[in-house]
Amino acid sequence: MIETLKEIWAYRSMIRSLVHKDLRGRYQASVLGFLWTFIVPLCQLAVYSLMFSIIMRGAAVEKFYLYVFVALIPWNFFSACLTGGASSVVAQQSLVNKIYFPREVVPVAYVTSSFVNMLLCEIIVILVSVFSGVPFNVLAYLCLPLVMLVEYIFALGVTMIISAIDVYFRDLEHILGVVAMAWMFVTPIMYDSSIVAGSRWYSLYQLNPMNIIVTAYRDILYAGKVPELTKLAVLLGISIVLLWIGFLVFGRLKRRFSEVM
Amino acid sequence: MSEVVIDVRNVKKMFRVYRDRGNTLKDRILFAGRRKYEEHWVLNGVSFEVKRGEAVGLIGQNGCGKSTTLKMLTKILYPDEGTIEMKGRVSSLIELGAGFHPDLSGRENIYTNASIFGLSRKEIDERLEDIIAFSELEAFIDDPVRTYSSGMYMRLAFAVAINVDADILLIDEILAVGDAAFQAKCFRKLQEIKGRGTTIVIVSHAMSQLELICDRSIWIADGLVRMDGKPRDVHPRYMEWMSRKTQQEEKKEDERENGEVSETDNEGNLKRWGSGEARMTGVKVIGADGTEKTDFSPWDPFTIHIDYTAQKPLEDAVIGLAIYRSDGTLVYGTNTLIDTSSPVTLQTSGTVDLKIDGLSAANGSYSIDLAIHRPDGFNYDFWRDICTIQIADKVQTPGEIALSHQWDIH
Repeated sequence: MIETLKEIWAYRSMIRSLVHKDLRGRYQASVLGFLWTFIVPLCQLAVYSLMFSIIMRGAAVEKFYLYVFVALIPWNFFSACLTGGASSVVAQQSLVNKIYFPREVVPVAYVTSSFVNMLLCEIIVILVSVFSGVPFNVLAYLCLPLVMLVEYIFALGVTMIISAIDVYFRDLEHILGVVAMAWMFVTPIMYDSSIVAGSRWYSLYQLNPMNIIVTAYRDILYAGKVPELTKLAVLLGISIVLLWIGFLVFGRLKRRFSEVM
Repeated sequence: MSEVVIDVRNVKKMFRVYRDRGNTLKDRILFAGRRKYEEHWVLNGVSFEVKRGEAVGLIGQNGCGKSTTLKMLTKILYPDEGTIEMKGRVSSLIELGAGFHPDLSGRENIYTNASIFGLSRKEIDERLEDIIAFSELEAFIDDPVRTYSSGMYMRLAFAVAINVDADILLIDEILAVGDAAFQAKCFRKLQEIKGRGTTIVIVSHAMSQLELICDRSIWIADGLVRMDGKPRDVHPRYMEWMSRKTQQEEKKEDERENGEVSETDNEGNLKRWGSGEARMTGVKVIGADGTEKTDFSPWDPFTIHIDYTAQKPLEDAVIGLAIYRSDGTLVYGTNTLIDTSSPVTLQTSGTVDLKIDGLSAANGSYSIDLAIHRPDGFNYDFWRDICTIQIADKVQTPGEIALSHQWDIH
């Protein structure tokens, strides 16, 4: 385990260049290039504000576009890990089959690249948040990196496991597409969790890690208040254990990767 | 005795060949426990050691397990039984241009590609100049790689891989990169790397290339080491075995009226082999005065005259020469492909004259190998030790070569 971590550290420049390649290569051939990283979330924002101000006018929450937007960007990151992360090793099979490198590099690079993409979008989120008149609470903002770290570790743990299993069982990608959709609806992104409060599933509902993460983002960037740190700390602990399990599972399964791909 | 850096012990490798390639949930559930597969043992206990600084060629028929062996050395595959120990940083020239992104520039791709070999950013910075210079792509290095020709692409890829500075370099069939000039350059670079003490393992079908660079050849057949020794001893055996095998397979075609060539010397070593589609019917070494000779001074020009016949005109022939010193050292080798970059055409009968302006070698006995082969290394007629010439200078000088020189003292 320690050996693996050391080796991944030795290959950090590979992780860096895979991230670089992904971020730069993604929009390289397009006219607007890297600007798309910002344009896409801005367009999403425009669509949501239009939709919620015209079509679903009855929404009970104030500044509903911001309410949704603040949660949607972190969700997009996790959702990308769930769907794209699962097939990340398979997608890199030409590399995996031809060259030796610690295979963990692939999911780590995928999650990191999606994470960096989210960080760039968060710039827009923060700007919109400030311009929408959300009180700028320094203490709350100081918690933002912690929330992001928790989400990163959680997403990485999940991605390690699913990317390794997907090599042997390709149906997983398709299953996870459905899971991602369902997961989105059990996470309070488009609605307020108070709606579910009366249900008998509510306690189960609250165990959803993404619920805790999305709510923390919303506390900081929508309500301008410090998130619930105890919940985050517990989730951090769980995420670290999950990541550890992820490394173990991946380590077991990686030896036969290039035999089955 | 130098240190063993690659230790392969009794390695076995099995692949499961599934009759029904069901990877879906439905197949897994419906046919759980009765998915039929055959165990295909590719390697049945391969053992060998490689010492630091050695250059070893792995040869064998397609599917014999040599590439699997190389993949296990690279740690892409793991053995089912046995152990493999490697000491030092390993670099592989197995897949050139791995991870190239077509839309990124050559320079950016150098960083990506080199990082896959485990180089840190600092190490890549240090090598960047060398890599670009070696690839000869200075003018295009900031253009997207998709605008490169395939030759340029391979040059860049090879330049990165060869500049990694590994302790152990694993190579799979890559010496077919680019044009003849670039190939020659790659070859010189490999020799330079070897000279620095890097251990090299090459898988290749091009015997002549292996002979130029390897100290040792390991022939793998049916998942076992069939023979392990000097390339000059192993290759003829292998070639003969291969041609016999091809013969058996092609028996139905039965168009070999003249039959293939195969002769052995008194000690049972193969002396001559090939398919016989073209064959040398007579070889003479002729001195400046036009008569057949065997004794020369290092400065005497001489001509190697070959008479040949061919079953039908051949458009893809290469005529090659190798000169060995009596202790087995390759003194010089060349062929028409290296010299002219294109194959030559042979008529149904004709002659070849190769003029040499003196051997410029130290006193001693030199033997000559001649071959007519295809560009891919398939031999029409390979004749080992076809003739021997004696070099004797008026005076005895130290060293391995004889330099044409002149003192000018004032």
